[in-house]
Amino acid sequence: MGSDFYMDFLKKIISSFEKYGTRNAFCIQGTHYTYNELAVRVAAIQKTLLQDYSAGDRVGVLIQDSLDTYAAIIATLLLGKTYVPVHPGHPADRVAQITEQADLIVILSGLAVSEYAGVANCNTNNINADTCSVQSVGADLSSSFAYILFTSGSTGKPKGTPITYANVASFTDAFFKLGYQVSEQDRFLQMFDLTFDLSVMSYLMPLCVGACVYPVPDTGMKFMNVYALLEEHDITFALMVPSVLTFLRQYFDEINLPSMRYSLFCGEALHKDVVLEWQKCLPNAIVENVYGPTEATIFCLTYRIDAEKGVAANNGIVCIGKPMYGMGAAIEGSDNRFLPDGEKGELCLFGNQLTPGYLDAEKSKLVFFEKDGIRYYRTGDIALREADGNFTFCGRVDHQVKVQGFRIELSEIEHHARAACGCSAVALVVHNAQGLEHLELVIEMESVDRDNVLADLKTRIPSYMMPSEIHCIAPFPLNVNGKIDRRELQQRITNTGI
Amino acid sequence: MEENELYGQLNKIYETILKKEGVTVAPETTAADIDGWDSLTHMILMDSIEKHFYIKFKLMEIMKFNNVGDMVACIQKKLAAK
Repeated sequence: MGSDFYMDFLKKIISSFEKYGTRNAFCIQGTHYTYNELAVRVAAIQKTLLQDYSAGDRVGVLIQDSLDTYAAIIATLLLGKTYVPVHPGHPADRVAQITEQADLIVILSGLAVSEYAGVANCNTNNINADTCSVQSVGADLSSSFAYILFTSGSTGKPKGTPITYANVASFTDAFFKLGYQVSEQDRFLQMFDLTFDLSVMSYLMPLCVGACVYPVPDTGMKFMNVYALLEEHDITFALMVPSVLTFLRQYFDEINLPSMRYSLFCGEALHKDVVLEWQKCLPNAIVENVYGPTEATIFCLTYRIDAEKGVAANNGIVCIGKPMYGMGAAIEGSDNRFLPDGEKGELCLFGNQLTPGYLDAEKSKLVFFEKDGIRYYRTGDIALREADGNFTFCGRVDHQVKVQGFRIELSEIEHHARAACGCSAVALVVHNAQGLEHLELVIEMESVDRDNVLADLKTRIPSYMMPSEIHCIAPFPLNVNGKIDRRELQQRITNTGI
Repeated sequence: MEENELYGQLNKIYETILKKEGVTVAPETTAADIDGWDSLTHMILMDSIEKHFYIKFKLMEIMKFNNVGDMVACIQKKLAAK
């Protein structure tokens, strides 16, 4: 690994500015912006950051459907600073906890306010373009943080995961080593909230090759917007959550997307029967299932689906494949020893894409460990390795779940529900008749004002964590250990809806 | 079917699927106006409306619905063609 290896993805972006100035970099809400237009905004924002906010390196970026949101991210990265996405739709308390933990010097937004969540706000609409050019940092950034993302934390406090420039460079290197034939001719879908790290692949990889990024508008029906972009703009590369397929499945016979060349899925279990049907809608595409937690930078295992060769699956769920270049995986048993092929245990990851640890070092102690000089991350996922080296996902070891790609600690919802209701609460993942997962809440009360509880919860947790139904059961059933019997509650909700 | 009657039936479907009382949709109503009407419930709503009226929407038709009025026009067209 060269000393400036961590710079490779930044150099690629600069190269795209130089080579593809008149080509489109983004299409946002139907408006195209060229690499030249992006470069002008990046340069102007960089100038402001250097002039007015040089005292700190952590820059908040308020997520808005605008070129400046992406320009702010690229400006921050090219200066070797750290960006922290801030979602304007999240409850104020949560945003405040994030800005405090992240220790931000400024928040870049399109808002005309002097402060946002207790941090100085810089309205990028007031930053005028001038003749300055895009700058790229020269210092050693290898261990500097490129971004910090906050995920659901079990204590009710968001958990900050910093990802270094070396981590991002390692992902970029491994991504291109997978052999994707992508160029300035490609059009990439970007369907992810910027607080979610799959967004990083969806905007960064296209910018590395001079391709165009198509962010999904955040208004209206998200999954409908996804399909509209795929269809209207002949998207060639799309990383999506499998829920999109569950949504579109009943219309597969109407869908034909010959322009699609790469269709990747991540963030949830991918069902073999659905993805094989989907593949028929994409006559020219390679379809892959990819896997990885935020702690291991975007994704780090991949599996290419080849209907003719047969698809490796467990209980109908497509396997998650093999580690990418620079990464490795092992299965740990309950006695902390690594297990042989075919035995189920906790999936542990190691390699160049692993975060150096959470902002809260205490939390790192629980999930990062060293063995024989190698540093591992315990994913909390149960998996096994097949004889051919492919890994198969078998479930979770804890109460962390993924719903429509969002990683959620059920205990965080329960923590806030207890505060809202003043009694015990259990959050459950429930499948609806169409097979889509959603969250429901059971509270230990005879009856409750459902709308009041939901309104209260809405002030505490982001919309993706909101339960869609509230049930009352009192008292809660207990198991033989005297603990709340979650399985019994799940069965009662599933069977009777009580 | 009279438009008023059609809206009345739609309101009942929305109330059942969204588990809310007193839902009133009008021609200009969009998903943004109704709490709980999102990507997930949208699919269930479309499915329930199709079953209720014995019709089938095409994906391209659903994509062109900008509001409830657009959907009602499509439902009426399909009912008239029966």
